[in-house]
Parts: sequence; structure tokens; C-alpha cells
Amino acid sequence: MKNKFSITKISSVLMTLLISIPMITLFVYLFVADTENWQHIKDTVLFEYIYNTLYVMIGVGLLTTVIGFTSAYLTSFYTFTFSKFFDYGLILPFAIPTYIIAFMYNGMFGITGNITTYILKLFDKNLSEVVFFDIQSIEGAIIVMSLVLYPYVYLVCRTYFNFESASIIEAAKTFNLSSWQVLKKVILPISRPAIIAGATLAVMEATADFGVMQYFGVNTFVTGIFKTWEGMGSIEDASKLASMLMTFLFILIILEKFQRRNKVYKSSGKDYRPIVKTQLKGRYNFLASFTCFIPFFFGFLLPFIQLSFWFFQSYEKVIDEDFIDLVLKTLQLGIVSALVITLLALLIVYNSRINKDKTSSSLTQITKLGYSIPGAVVAVGILSFFGILHKYVLDVFSIDFLISGTVIAVIFGYIVRFIAISINNFEAGFNRIPQSYDDAAKISGIGHIKTFTKVFIPLIKNSAAASFIIIFIEVVKELPLTMVLRPFDYNTLAIRALELNEQSQTIESSVPSMIIVLIGVISVLLLTKNLKKAQDAKY
Amino acid sequence: MLSINNLSISFNETKILDDINFEVNQGEIVTLLGSSGCGKTTILRAIAGLQKEHEGNICIGDTCVSSKEIFEKNREVGYIFQDYALFPHLDVEENIAFALDNLSKKDKLKRVDDLLTQFDITSHRKKQIHQLSGGQQQRVAIARAMANKPKILLLDEPFANLDSQLRYKTKMWLRSIIKKYNLSAVLVTHDKKEALSISDKIGIIHNKKLLQFDKTEVIYKKPVNYYIANFLSEINILPNSLIKKLNINKKEDEIAIIEITKCLISNKKDLMQVEILDKSFCGEYYEVLIKEKDIEESELIMLKSTLENINLEDDIYLNIEVKDIDIILK
Repeated sequence: MKNKFSITKISSVLMTLLISIPMITLFVYLFVADTENWQHIKDTVLFEYIYNTLYVMIGVGLLTTVIGFTSAYLTSFYTFTFSKFFDYGLILPFAIPTYIIAFMYNGMFGITGNITTYILKLFDKNLSEVVFFDIQSIEGAIIVMSLVLYPYVYLVCRTYFNFESASIIEAAKTFNLSSWQVLKKVILPISRPAIIAGATLAVMEATADFGVMQYFGVNTFVTGIFKTWEGMGSIEDASKLASMLMTFLFILIILEKFQRRNKVYKSSGKDYRPIVKTQLKGRYNFLASFTCFIPFFFGFLLPFIQLSFWFFQSYEKVIDEDFIDLVLKTLQLGIVSALVITLLALLIVYNSRINKDKTSSSLTQITKLGYSIPGAVVAVGILSFFGILHKYVLDVFSIDFLISGTVIAVIFGYIVRFIAISINNFEAGFNRIPQSYDDAAKISGIGHIKTFTKVFIPLIKNSAAASFIIIFIEVVKELPLTMVLRPFDYNTLAIRALELNEQSQTIESSVPSMIIVLIGVISVLLLTKNLKKAQDAKY
Repeated sequence: MLSINNLSISFNETKILDDINFEVNQGEIVTLLGSSGCGKTTILRAIAGLQKEHEGNICIGDTCVSSKEIFEKNREVGYIFQDYALFPHLDVEENIAFALDNLSKKDKLKRVDDLLTQFDITSHRKKQIHQLSGGQQQRVAIARAMANKPKILLLDEPFANLDSQLRYKTKMWLRSIIKKYNLSAVLVTHDKKEALSISDKIGIIHNKKLLQFDKTEVIYKKPVNYYIANFLSEINILPNSLIKKLNINKKEDEIAIIEITKCLISNKKDLMQVEILDKSFCGEYYEVLIKEKDIEESELIMLKSTLENINLEDDIYLNIEVKDIDIILK
């Protein structure tokens, strides 16, 4: 009986309730009667929002699948020149936020971009005389986002290939199939669930994007939510838009889970066996290296070179006391948020481990939904909730309690949005610990707290470190949620980068952008190291 | 020392153990034997207090508990898990000392030293678990289980992860340790050889029930039904034609069985002429499948050390002694 009311369980229930509040508030808006503004939105821009959002989703889904799958296939099954480098090099685009790559590409290939200008000068032509692809378009947005979002597909496919496919591929090879036949008949069909899972993550990110769409002037649901909130000053209508997007994304997640549930291809053997890679020679060797170089070059190297170039041009002008203060403030926000989120996620997952019941597992699942909701939607949900709280509770009882527009509100937004990442990390960590360890500790009679500190903490420290690093970088990169919920005059590096770009100070914006990218690169490298450490650990 | 009374356990309203009763005296080794998934480990978990929901009582010494009066601590049991459950982030010494927080630093060190010496693992005290062999890991697991001086030792498939050579040695060593400390031990396994060689008493679990619980020799020699007889030794059910020839009287719900080692064949004319259907070389002996000549469904298996002294071209006869035949329930 005592487990039913344990402290961890009660805290978990309260936590889940708190985290679900923005989602529940938004869900209610689906059923709220239409306002005059809403009618206007419906008549004018709603169709465009839906069309553009779907267009971006399909475009990013297809492009990330092609790039991510091809590179994962080549690096998983073949050895070629620089293949070891590409193992990690292909993950590096993850370090560049979508909006920064958009700034870079517009600065290089936009109408007034330096590369555009250089090429036109070289051939002595005007822009009107040539066929020009405008990067500041919806197609341009799809391309630049795919260049940094393909690692989702790449990583999911690689993990799947490495852990599940060795025996299946070997079996296929015994039938004397060529590499092409093995790819077509075996690898592609069995990796479909992994491809869709990875592509869904990329599509979710693209749908949630605010920076690129705002900068390229593409009207999607997320920019629409902003315009309605800021331009029309209507939190109700912004909430209605947000609730529509949230419902649509939930349906997408359910469909993705459904496709995965019915098609889980696992090798029958329990033991992990590495794939025996084939050494490529001659033109195949060159082709494989070249194919992997393209996403690395366009997704990381080229924008990074451009960013560095502009950084060295402008850093002396930009870096002053205020800027240092901004960097410190951003780092502080990242560290505090990552710490809070990691601890809360640990509480939720540990509760699920020790109280093996349906309630605890459902609580974990509910809190994980937050990640599928775009930052802008979470922000609007929180604002709506605070609005209701003030109108019906605080104002009625004349309570002077302000959360809205404080850093607490921002951190709360991050918790709702990012706790799923941390939960996933801890779940993976805890799943590696056999149940018999819990039993052995229980029999020794050392109690829950000592079991937690003596057994679990040492065994999940890698998961905790990974969670902290990922959340930290996510917070540093985050744009829309921070913009909506931040206190007056409170800036982060990401917001400063966007503001400078919107003021056409692209070169100056490279300084905050560079710091974000460097933090990203260091985090990706630390994560890779942490992952390797976890793999090498004898437990 | 340990008494299990009317123990029944259900998972999601499906009963997996029904009305289990047995007792373990001080210094006795009891093995619960049954096929995989029959619920034997669940009984161990219930004794240890890890399986909380159950009907019936479990008494350790003078203290009896039902599932409504759960206690986890102070059951005075040591549990050796099938995977040993040694904590990989702690070294050998730390693993053994894991549950000794109630002792002073000095006493803790002394207890660990004693155990390391007794279990002959002193030279490994600072090693990490992954640096030990399977047998050494098992010793550490047993030392850890015995650190708090339990009255009862619970062992879940303790030899499953050892190779056959080591298994034999470890079995003898473990038996001597249990006897030396006058512990009561409950061991679960699906390996009949293991059960027969280490146990004072055996309980056979099948189909949710404890079918028979008795001294090892009794259960082997006088199994109460065919399932137990077949589980513990390799037997033949005698065909009806042979039963008639031997004038054996049995009831409808009974069968006549004989160990396959007691079935012999030769060219000497005897009770029943047989033909060889198949023979396979098994190293030290041949396994021969025979049947009564011209009679269907009368197959018997027998073992023969050599086929050299028998002429397979001539008529072959089955020789069995009536005293070797047992009549048991189906």
C-alpha cells in the first residue's frame, strides 16, 4: 500500500499536471467560439498557413530522408576515404541552429549575397539577366533547414543499422545478392520504420521553426501564431491557431507510433554484433567520399567558413561589456534550465522505475508529449494559462503574484518543451540496469535513498551528463519560446542574432551566432565522447 | 526454519502458483525443480519479500507473514540471483560490504576480510566485477549474500552461467559451505542432475502445483506420477502387449514404466522378439530405438554400451526384469 502514496509518485503526479497545463489550456481553445479576428484569419491567411506548413513538412521530410539515409547507409556498411571522419563529421550540422544557417545562406546566395555578387561580377551580368533561385523563399527555407536537420535521419538509421541489422544483412548476402539488391530488397524495407522515425523528428523541428520562416518571410502556423499574438494582440486567436497545430502534430505522432508498432524489425539474436564493413575502391571509393562530403560541406563547413569570416570582420566592434553580459546571461539560463530539467526528468523516470504501475508509466508518456509541440505553441499555452490564472484566481482574490514575463516563466516553458529529451535519456540509461540490481539492493535492506545514491546514481551518471548537455544546447539555441516569455529587456544570444539580422546587420550577427555554434560544436563533441564512454563502460 | 503454507500467487488475475506447501529444516538443502517458467523463481522471490502480493503464509523461524503484513528487511535471507546482480561500478570488496552499513567501519572491514578469506577471493578484493571469471563472480555473489549472516540462502539457478567442469566443482563447494554454516538453502533449477546431486530434498513444480516434495532418494525411486518419473530419469512406458505377456495388473489411470537403462537386448531367446528401428552413436553408448516385432506402437528406447556382442542380422530379443517395473499414476 505504501507505494501508492510515495513521495516520488506524488511529486511525479504534480509535475506532470504542471507540465500538461499549457497543453490542456490550448486544447480547450479548440472548442472556444470564434471571434471576429478569427473569422478574419480564416478568410485571409489560414489556408496559406496550412498550405505552407504542409509544403515545408513534405519538403523537409523528403530531403532529410534522402541525405540522412544515403549518408547513414554509406558510413554504416562501407569503408572509404575519410569514412571514419564522416562518422562524426556528418553529425556536426546539428550544432548549427536552423536560423543561423539561414542567415549564412542568405548572406552568401541571397539577392545581395557575397557569392551571388561575385558570380554576377565574374560573368559581367545583372540579376535580371540570369535565372536566379531566390534563397529567401519557401523552397530555400526547405533546403537550408534540411541541411542541418538531416542528422536526425542519419543518427536514427545508423543506430538501427549498427544494433539490429548485422545478422539480417549477413543472411541476405548468403543468397548471393549484389550490394544494390541487398539495399533494395533488405536494407530499405527493414529500415523504413527508422527512416520514418528520424524524418518525423526532422519534420517536427521544421514545423516548429520560427527563425528561418520569419527571416525568409514564409507564412506558416508558427509565424502566424506570432503575428496574431504580437500584431493583432489577440492571445485567444493565437491560442486557437496553436491548438490547431498541436492537434495536427499529435495526430502525426500517433500515426508515426502506429507505423512503428506494426513494423518493428529486430534481428532474432540477442547479442550485439558489429557490421562487417566492405572496403570500397576506385571510383566507388571516390563517389562514396564525395556523397558524404556534400552534406558535411553544405551543412557545416561552408556556413562555418562564412560565419568565421564575418566573425573576424566584426568581433571587435560587437564584443563589449554588454555583449559579455549577454553571453553570461545566456550561459546562466542554459545551465540553470538544464539542471532543473535534468533533475525533474530523473524524478519522473525514477518514479516509473520503482513504482511499476500504469499510472507512473502514463505520467512519463504525458510529460514526453511536450517535445512535439513547437516552442511558440508552448509559449502561447503558458501565456493563456497565466491569463486565465490572473483573470479567475489571482485578480479575484487580489493576490499579487507575477510569473508571466519573468525568467521563471521562461524556464517553465523550457521544462514543458524539453523535458522529453531528458526523460528519453534517463529511460535509456535505466533500461540498461537489470531489475535484479533493484532486488539485490532491496534484500540488503539499505533503503530507497541509499539504493538511489549507491546504485542508481553511479550507473546513470552518463545519461545525466548527456541530458544536461543536450538541454543546455537546446536552451542556448531556443528562439520563439524565449521571445514570447522573456521579461522586458531580457535578451539571449539567439534573440540578439535574429534582431541584428532583421536590422540588416548580417555581418555583426555572426558574433552571437558564432558563440551559439561553438557551444553547439563543443556540446556535440562532448556528447559523442560521452556516448563512446557509455559504450566502453563494462556496465 | 522455513515453512511455506498454502502459498498461491497470481499475476493479472492469472494464477501461476496454487496452494504450495513445504518446509525446510535447518541445515537442509531443498531444490525446487521444474521446467522454465513454472513459477519456481516466484516462490524464491516471495520468500525474500520481493514478490509482495500472495496468498498464504511464509514463516521464517517464528515469524510468519502474509502479503498483508509485508516486510522486506530483516527476513534474514541471502539471495543469489541468476545473473548474480553484482554492482558493476563497485569492486569486489565494495560489493561484499554493500549491505553492511549497520556495522562500524572496523567491524565491516573484519567481516569483509573473513568472507574474502573463506571464499578464497582475497587476491581479487580490489578487482572490478568484469575482471573476474564466472566462478569468481559467483563466489563474490555468495559472499555478498552471506555478509549479513542470513539464516536462509536462496539461490536462483546458481550454476546456469558456469561451464560443465566448473559447475561440478562449484556445486560441491557450495554444498560444503551451506553445510559448514548450517544454513537452510532453497535452490531453484530446471536441471535434474544438479537437483539430484546437491539436494537433501526436492520439490517438483508443474502446472502451478507442487506435485511431490520429498527426500531426494525417495522422490527419485518412488515418483508419484509419470511427469515426475519422466522429469527425473529417462524411462520407457511399457506397451500393452508386453504388460499382458508379463501378467502385470494395473488400473485404468496407471502406467507401467521402466528405466531405459534397465532394458536390454540380446540374441538370446526371451520374452519378446523386437526389431531395431534406429540406432545412434552417443559417445559412451548407443541409443537404440526398438519395437516389438509386427506390433505397432510398441516403441521402446534403450541404451547399449556396445553393439559388438550382438548380431543385428539374427533375431533380437528384449530382456527385462519384472522387479524393475514400476506402476505409477499417469
